Amino acid sequence: MDPMAAIRETFFQECEEQLAALEAGLILMESGAAEAETVNAVFRAVHSIKGGAGIFALDALVRFAHVFETALDQVRSGTLATTQAVLNLLLRAADALADLVRAARENGTVDEARTAALVVEFTQISTHGHEQPPTPAPAPPAASPAWHISFTPAASLYAKANETALLLRELRRLGPIEATLDSSRLPELSELDPEGAYLTWNITLAADCTELAIRNVFEFVEDDCQLTITSATPPEPGLKPGDVITGDNGFSFEFFPPPVFDEEEAVPPPPVEPEHHEPPATPLARQNPVETMAAKAESAAAVSATIRVDLDRVDRMIDLVGELVINEAMLSQRVLEAGIARASGVAMALEELEHLTREIQDSVMAIRAQPVRSVFQRMPRLVREVAAQTGKQARLVTEGEGTEVDKTVIERIADPLTHMIRNAIDHGLESPEKRIAAGKPAEGLVRLTALHRSGRIVLEVSDDGAGINRARVKEKAIANGLIAPDAALTDDEIDNLIFLPGFSTASTVSDISGRGVGMDVVRQSVVALGGRISISSRPGQGSTFTLSLPLTLAVLDGMVISARGHTLIIPLGAIVETLKPKAADVFPLDGEINLIHLRGGYVPMVDIAASLGYCDELIEPNQSVALLVEGESGMRAVLLADAIHGQRQVVIKSLEANYRAIPGIAASTVMGDGSVALILDVDAVVKTTRSELNRSESSLLEAR
Amino acid sequence: MSTIVLTVDDSRAMRDMLRHSLLAAGFRVLQAEDGLHGLEVLETERPDVIVTDINMPRMDGFGFIEAVRRDETRRSMPVLVLTTEVDAEKKNRARAAGATGWIVKPFDPIKLVEAIRRVAA
Amino acid sequence: MENTHSGTATLALPPILDLTAAAAVLENFLTRRGKPLSVNAAEVQRLGGQCLQVLLCARAAWAADEQELRLDSCSEEFLAALDLLGVPPKILTYCKEMPA
Repeated sequence: MDPMAAIRETFFQECEEQLAALEAGLILMESGAAEAETVNAVFRAVHSIKGGAGIFALDALVRFAHVFETALDQVRSGTLATTQAVLNLLLRAADALADLVRAARENGTVDEARTAALVVEFTQISTHGHEQPPTPAPAPPAASPAWHISFTPAASLYAKANETALLLRELRRLGPIEATLDSSRLPELSELDPEGAYLTWNITLAADCTELAIRNVFEFVEDDCQLTITSATPPEPGLKPGDVITGDNGFSFEFFPPPVFDEEEAVPPPPVEPEHHEPPATPLARQNPVETMAAKAESAAAVSATIRVDLDRVDRMIDLVGELVINEAMLSQRVLEAGIARASGVAMALEELEHLTREIQDSVMAIRAQPVRSVFQRMPRLVREVAAQTGKQARLVTEGEGTEVDKTVIERIADPLTHMIRNAIDHGLESPEKRIAAGKPAEGLVRLTALHRSGRIVLEVSDDGAGINRARVKEKAIANGLIAPDAALTDDEIDNLIFLPGFSTASTVSDISGRGVGMDVVRQSVVALGGRISISSRPGQGSTFTLSLPLTLAVLDGMVISARGHTLIIPLGAIVETLKPKAADVFPLDGEINLIHLRGGYVPMVDIAASLGYCDELIEPNQSVALLVEGESGMRAVLLADAIHGQRQVVIKSLEANYRAIPGIAASTVMGDGSVALILDVDAVVKTTRSELNRSESSLLEAR
Repeated sequence: MSTIVLTVDDSRAMRDMLRHSLLAAGFRVLQAEDGLHGLEVLETERPDVIVTDINMPRMDGFGFIEAVRRDETRRSMPVLVLTTEVDAEKKNRARAAGATGWIVKPFDPIKLVEAIRRVAA
Repeated sequence: MENTHSGTATLALPPILDLTAAAAVLENFLTRRGKPLSVNAAEVQRLGGQCLQVLLCARAAWAADEQELRLDSCSEEFLAALDLLGVPPKILTYCKEMPA
């Protein structure tokens, strides 16, 4: 890649960061929690994008960023009040800017009409009432053939590493100079402060240049010297100390105001706030100074505390580590089969290898762990768009953006989250009128939360809308033949009917909620990830979607069991305990289902093999081993198997990707001996059992 | 010998851009990605001019300039601040810390090169 | 920086005469005060305003003491810097008026 292309790519990566900061800042401003620094940061983000875009001649981007930046500058200076309308415009402008950046990156196109319309809107709100395109520095006024310059440096000038000799050298670049020295203020040698400043230079510059050009020379020192510039002709108007000159590319500098200058060094520099340079909590690895001398320019690369790595490389490594884990397991098994003693050197070395393999795996997985922020950051825009399309007012509050999860999971939560949020606004929130009638604020609240819970990431989307209209849902489910007309369902079960295939409560299929895709599709995609989704709802108070996913899609700690000759993996996180059922504790219920008496309560028992259809005949409970498991919602069941073979970390291979989705099975894995084992979807099994149990109970009740 | 410039900036794009422009102007370029890293570079290198950003992690530009000035041998080393900050208070802080000059970015490479030539002995 | 057999002290200026050198140069002049002095500027590469102040001040002090102050050999860079700063080399030296 040629160097400019590489820099350009870096520029776009950083643009994404700036855009995220921009949006975050604007949202903070909208919430009223903004500080002066927030506005500055927002301004800087747009300013930086404009600056970089200028370097790469991305004119459309520069033009729009400039208009945007001008408005933000007015906000910053207080000449433009941040009314709701203005904030709304700024947010939409941020979206448009993001589109422009992406279009520039991909050489694509944007909706120019929209951009133009925004520019017009900016023009209308602007107190100046007109756009100010970037203009080059003002045309130089009439030049003067000769200048008289009186220059008296202060000690502070030298203290900042400026140097009279260099300034004179610079002046001479403008034209021939003649300097005479006024050394009358020099003290006696013994009184001399070697780092003081006692001299005045009177300089005649014979140059056909502007005063601006001369002031440019003294740009950095105007605060640290006494400077007068006089010309034979009257000085041109306009340039005063304090003026800011802005050139192309936004380059600017300010004339420092004339200093108050005493005999001694003027005013002592203002006390500088103590700086805290605390090292980060975890010490960063010391890096060698980066040297990119011209000679080495080709080979040298910037060393960084963070590096950007092509994801493919990490994925390849993850795959290889996965293979390593499998191979290590196979090797262990072979060694075991060979009858080598556990205390032998080979076995011990193998144990060490296993330990190392596990550490490598953890480390590699940590490389891919990322905060969910990147996905959360896309949601405010979605909320604005969906709210605008549905005529509702919605505000998004996010929590736990820093929650980390594997990159593969991050990539795949965006779609379900998008659906959940669309759904929350489209179906959850009421219209502003209805909300006001119900005594709620017109603006609805959508809350998006991420947190870690028992080795999984839990994402919640809740709204403060009307909640699920259960009567309507049930009616619809009956009409669609999804449930029997006389089905006795709990509120929770009714709520979760919306995940059934083909279910849609909106009378017309809405363009908003998943563009005609129902929640069943969302659920399927979540389940395919080894995740679960559920909804709980309170009438009049809103609904909460809960999405839980494994932290990684690559490995799983599982219990290896066998059921009628089939090897299965039960995720360790779901297992509460293992037990040996006694016949006396088992109570049959309605033929199909047995209950086990466990510490004063009754838990339904499930024959794994039978539930997966491996056989019809149920295992005798006292012939089996039992595992007490808990599903996502806290519901428990006892799973019956033939034998338990111990714990193992397994590498997950998606069954869906390699075969197809199977109810009750979450995924598959390759075992140490090379055979394929299935990973049980505990939650699905527990839920099925519980539903059957409910029906049995209600039929029992009815029979009574 | 050509002028050696140390650039201190946490943005890789900006570092790359600076390096590209400065090499083109015939300077030699050293890079650091924040103040602390800049100080590490200064342990072994002696640039003619330093160009530093203000807002950086670990050690910002103010702290970096102060640390440079605290070293007796580096008191006359020109330090130009290249920043998006336009705030007068920040500028005054940088000047109080001992900054030789202040340039607001996004920068014009030509002006930057001029500024470096102006302060480099 | 040693005394020569003729009783005239010498002072060799360092190559870089900037902010960081001024204090040391001043000290060197102060310790050689009261005797004729020959300043060697052959190594000077860079001359800044503050070291120039020391040189000007030293010349005034030597003149007040009526001691000779000579500039022995000057590098081109030194002479160029003096020219830039508007200082003819002559005004840095002091020649005791020859007795009649």
